[in-house]
Amino acid sequence: MFSIALGELIQIFRNRLVLVTSFVLPIAMSAFFIYQHDLFAKIGSLGYIAAVVLFFVAAFGLYTSTVTTLASRRQNLFLKRLRSTAISDAGIMTGLLLPVTVIALVQVAVILTVLAVVTGTPAHIALVAVAVLAALLMMLGLGLATAGVTNSPEHAQVTTLPISLITIGTATWVGIAGTDSLPLLKRLLPGGSVTELLLNGWNGGVPLKDSLILLGPSFAWVAVSITLATRLFRWEPRR
Amino acid sequence: MTSTPVIDVDRLNLSYGDFHAVRDLSFQVMRGEFYALLGTNGAGKTSTLETIEGHRTATSGTVRVFGQSPRDRQAVRPRMGIMLQESGFSPDLTVRESVRLIGQLTQRTDKVDRVLGIVDLTRKAGTKVSQLSGGEKRRLDFATAVYGTPELVFLDEPTTGLDIQSRDDLWDAVDELREAGSTIVLTTHYLEEAQQRADRIGLMHKGAFHREGTVSELTRTLPSTIDFTLPPHAPMPPLQATRENDGKFLIETFELQKDLHTLLGWAQDNAIELGELEAGPTSLDDVFRAIDSV
Repeated sequence: MFSIALGELIQIFRNRLVLVTSFVLPIAMSAFFIYQHDLFAKIGSLGYIAAVVLFFVAAFGLYTSTVTTLASRRQNLFLKRLRSTAISDAGIMTGLLLPVTVIALVQVAVILTVLAVVTGTPAHIALVAVAVLAALLMMLGLGLATAGVTNSPEHAQVTTLPISLITIGTATWVGIAGTDSLPLLKRLLPGGSVTELLLNGWNGGVPLKDSLILLGPSFAWVAVSITLATRLFRWEPRR
Repeated sequence: MTSTPVIDVDRLNLSYGDFHAVRDLSFQVMRGEFYALLGTNGAGKTSTLETIEGHRTATSGTVRVFGQSPRDRQAVRPRMGIMLQESGFSPDLTVRESVRLIGQLTQRTDKVDRVLGIVDLTRKAGTKVSQLSGGEKRRLDFATAVYGTPELVFLDEPTTGLDIQSRDDLWDAVDELREAGSTIVLTTHYLEEAQQRADRIGLMHKGAFHREGTVSELTRTLPSTIDFTLPPHAPMPPLQATRENDGKFLIETFELQKDLHTLLGWAQDNAIELGELEAGPTSLDDVFRAIDSV
């Protein structure tokens, strides 16, 4: 498993497109939001900035890289090659996704730490951590599911757009407008309840009991994404 | 070669929707044997091979490799090397990194440099897979299959795209594997390779065995042939011969030496010169072509 992960890490650093998509783009966007935090805090709140940077990393860094990596490895039959060895499917998948997941986790941790240093510590760090975990798990599952309907890395540029736009759009909508209006719809959208959880965790001012209720839809989306992944993902190209 | 079956296929059936790719296929491959699975396009040999390798699940029937399910990777894969029909390498990894990675995952031990030496890729060790030629990729594929000298090696179209020197090198390496006691399962479109090397051949057609046996057993089911032309106004030969469209005479016989002797004696006695004389035993090609008439 770790030898696969090491191989993936080598490939990420050799592939400029993946490097830019996974590293440069999310960090550049996050740096912009943090640099302009006064402006974006007026539009939404500091929690809103945290939510948007989280979903930038989750969508462009983790989700898109997951789909592109798996589609590419399947298209060139690398997955079949790995399945010709003694390692289990779970081991293969863990090895393939470990680098992008760890990179995304480290990116989010670093970016949110910088935001906290610049703007102040979040009210409930544990809630922020749970929101980050739920967001990354959901995007990982959705990445596996989307890879199942993606034929090639080029095709991934199209198939990743809906989920990326919906999650970032939802984070922006909930982050700016809050959930006073259309609360059910916003919480049921992918990333909606996670964003609200992050807002409550970062900004504070909401009873903990009200925030804990958001764990339901947040982890329900994790369950949905994992279910979709197990049903849609395929190891070999369509013939 | 011993009588212990390394592969045991019993009434294997494989279906894709309404299409039956493999029907009631049964055969065994013994330890140390070189077994060739041949067939027409779409005969079901790749489906059969991939089921034995553990890449596919049988619709019905059983497949045992080393007495275990081939789907049990942890138990079976460390003992088998698989050369896939298509490349399956990551283009951004180097040759050395690819062999090391796949080698580690097989859980066998070997030296990467030794394996690269076998396939003459030592000088390309630092080259990315994306920069290799088609033949070099096939050699890399072979290198990963023989990493750690596995007990069972699957070779799926191993020499496709290789030049003559590389083919010879590959077969030399296969000979060394056999000397080390490995069992070889081969699929190929180059029938002469199977004819020269296989202990037994399974000839598939429409999902089932058309014939199975040694080369000699397969070829003796069809008659040998004698071809020749006769000068104008020559008498008819003493054996039953048919005249082909090109004017040549064709004698089909299961007693090649005796009938050839009779024909040559007749020609000498009558001072007849046999033109374009060709005589030979049945080849695997002839057996293969005969499938089409089934």
